[in-house]
Amino acid sequence: MASVRGPPKPIVPQHVVRTTPAAFPRPAYLDHSALRHLLQVEGPEPPIPSRRADASASTTSARNQAYANALSVSSDNDDTRSASSSPVPTPLPRVDQPLKLPTRWSEQDRHTGLSVSSDGRELIFNGPSCSAEKEAASARTIYPIPRACGIFYYEVEILGKDQKAHISIGFASKSGKFVRLPGWDANSWGYYGDDGCALSPERSGFQYGQPFGTGDFIGCGIDFSTYKAFYTKNGILIGPVFDNVGKNGDLFPSVGIQHTGESVRANFGQDPFKYDIDDHVQQQRNVTWNKILSTSLNRSVLHGRYRRTGVGSIASITNDTGVQQSLTEEESKQVLNQLVMTYLVHHGYAKTAHAFGRQYEGRDKDPSKDASNTSGHGPDVEMKASSSTSESVEIDIQSRTNVVNSVLAGDLDSAIGTLQKRYPTVLEADDHMLLFKLRCRKFVELFLETTEMKKRMKAIKERELAKSKAPELPLQDTWMDEEMSMDIDEEPSVPHHRRPSIAPSPMDHTEELNGKELWSPDTISAQYESALNAALAYGQTLTNDHQSDNRLEVQQLFKKTFGIVAFEDPLDPSCPVVDVASHDSRVALAHDVNQAILKSQGRPAQPALETLYRHTATAITQLGLSGVGAAAFADMSKEFLQP
Amino acid sequence: MPPKPSIRKEEWERRLHDVQVTKSDLNRLVMDYLVIEGYKSAAEEFSQEANLSPPVDFESIESRMDIREALQRGDVEDAITRVNDLNPEILDTNPALYFKLQQQKLIEFIRQGRIPEAIQFAQDELAPRGEESPEFLSELERTMALLAFDSAPNAPPAIAELLSPAQRMKTAGDVNAAILESLSQGKEVKLVGLLKLLCWGETLLEEKMDFPKLNVLEGTFGETGKV
Repeated sequence: MASVRGPPKPIVPQHVVRTTPAAFPRPAYLDHSALRHLLQVEGPEPPIPSRRADASASTTSARNQAYANALSVSSDNDDTRSASSSPVPTPLPRVDQPLKLPTRWSEQDRHTGLSVSSDGRELIFNGPSCSAEKEAASARTIYPIPRACGIFYYEVEILGKDQKAHISIGFASKSGKFVRLPGWDANSWGYYGDDGCALSPERSGFQYGQPFGTGDFIGCGIDFSTYKAFYTKNGILIGPVFDNVGKNGDLFPSVGIQHTGESVRANFGQDPFKYDIDDHVQQQRNVTWNKILSTSLNRSVLHGRYRRTGVGSIASITNDTGVQQSLTEEESKQVLNQLVMTYLVHHGYAKTAHAFGRQYEGRDKDPSKDASNTSGHGPDVEMKASSSTSESVEIDIQSRTNVVNSVLAGDLDSAIGTLQKRYPTVLEADDHMLLFKLRCRKFVELFLETTEMKKRMKAIKERELAKSKAPELPLQDTWMDEEMSMDIDEEPSVPHHRRPSIAPSPMDHTEELNGKELWSPDTISAQYESALNAALAYGQTLTNDHQSDNRLEVQQLFKKTFGIVAFEDPLDPSCPVVDVASHDSRVALAHDVNQAILKSQGRPAQPALETLYRHTATAITQLGLSGVGAAAFADMSKEFLQP
Repeated sequence: MPPKPSIRKEEWERRLHDVQVTKSDLNRLVMDYLVIEGYKSAAEEFSQEANLSPPVDFESIESRMDIREALQRGDVEDAITRVNDLNPEILDTNPALYFKLQQQKLIEFIRQGRIPEAIQFAQDELAPRGEESPEFLSELERTMALLAFDSAPNAPPAIAELLSPAQRMKTAGDVNAAILESLSQGKEVKLVGLLKLLCWGETLLEEKMDFPKLNVLEGTFGETGKV
């Protein structure tokens, strides 16, 4: 049989082996949960079973309990600590806090007559048999079931000798006292082997499935998307049972045993399951997703309004008949078109935006004309897209794109120029912060030019040294060769149009064309010096203009910007100031500029479409963590992002 | 009962920031919308500008849109011919869709006042199919009821709506979905799913806690708990 145990057991010191369960990968069926990244089986070195470990296990539960209190509206919670806690909402836990899966029976939370095997999976009843109907020795797992699983499932093998085992398999809350069968205490549910009854405190026992006993594998699951339990027997589904399971507060897998010598072995995913739980979950996932897709688009939600008038409940909303709450198909199309259009405009997809706007207008006018001779919709639905694709918008996209591209090319003068002309408020905003950033970048570009010249000078000097041993070659050619090679492997970040400023055009110096001095190292070095002086002069102006600005961000950027002067090659990836000099910092600045322009136009810094995605993902994750299991089946990355 | 927990705007925005989604992810969502809704030239431009390969060929977008337009202007016969040109299996394997198209054709006859033709068409083409299934029969009856009223406004809404542009759009939408399915392309626009998920999720989360609500079109948030 193929092993599904996953990574080999880690090597651990002998003295802890007795109680170290094998590490195993997260059961595959849990991959269908959108919150799978938070669901954790224990690591290879679980802290058991000393007193210290028990303490740590119970603090975990306490934290989970506090967490449930923090998030649960209802307060029907049996934990005394939380009941006495102040009514101030507990701070929310971090969203990236892992949720531990129950993978073994607790050494502590059990009836004293039950013993737990060293791997934490077997329960054996050694105490005297219980005589009363509901009396039993029960146990639960160390961790509660995270509702973010969507569906949780485990199987139990009946090891005892009885054909009809006096065993109840199910779930229990933290309040159980381990002297009852699951299904007899409040907030517990069970399936009983002796007569096949389902036990729940609300309904007592009722006929559910067949009796079970030795050799049988009983599977037991909770579907948190419906708050129903289900059982399987030897790999076959019996069906859903019980209501409101796990709706309020955490539940643990729990087993209760009544007769001496009876025992069970649980499979929390360590071994392959008898039942095809993966398929079960997948189907339930699809059911849930289709239900979500049948939601109608609600006007208030889309406008970000609270729909509650008083106490928040769906009933009070549906009674509110003042406004039509659902969007018509036409209206939802408008919402989508606007989201798409603003997205295209935001990122400067000018041609697409243009084509989209034209097609949209063209298409939706005809049917409304047609409609005028029939009853029903008049031409009252006018499209918004027409105005947003007007010429001015296209020009705007164009100049915004130009500014961004100038920054990317290192042409800061042109970027600042266009900004001054078209978006003066952008430069003024935030006390000229962006202008300052752009000017700092200009200083960086100027200085990078000088380092480039210096590199070239060095190369020429070396070449000349070599040439001096073969003095026939004229030096012009050397320079030209150099120029050519520089062009070929030119760094993309070095702006092309700057090239002429590096060496004066030969035409300016015709009278010297025959003299060797023109290309002599001295001349180049003079050019280098003048470029360096120009750069430093610019830097000094910058200092004079902004010295009095005491903002931390300004001062820091100052320091970093001038820091590059100390380095011979700031673009060298190993250089400590490379993040100031590199092309990446141009990209970041270009991004800032784009945001700033959009902001100045009263548009959001990120497209509404992106905010919509991020907000929805955040809300769904929070919903899953708040105990709404159905949220686990709203897998956004699978539904929306995977091709 | 303790007050509902609440999340402040700053915390919420920090979480938004941590959501894993890239510009190219969003570009693909936009492309999905352009393709399924049939914005052919926009889809073409977008695949250039955003450097995205389109999920289907652009010609199929065009023929889908031709079919949709034919239905929207009431030329059902043209639409049927075009669907069969594209892929005859679409209607062969989908009797319910074929019935809907025939029903739409009947509606168009009635709209144009071509009553004898309407009756002939109903008797020849639709009545035999009404015998096949009770659903078809009830739809046929509903459509024939249009003849009982001298003008549409006098008919009960459930019947008059057959003459509305929405009915044409609905038929066009069903055909569009069937074609997309035959191209193994998703038929539901993913962005619509996203909006629905938002409505579903926010409604449930509101019962659990206070959190900043999003104004979808503006992309802005209100303060937590502010109505």
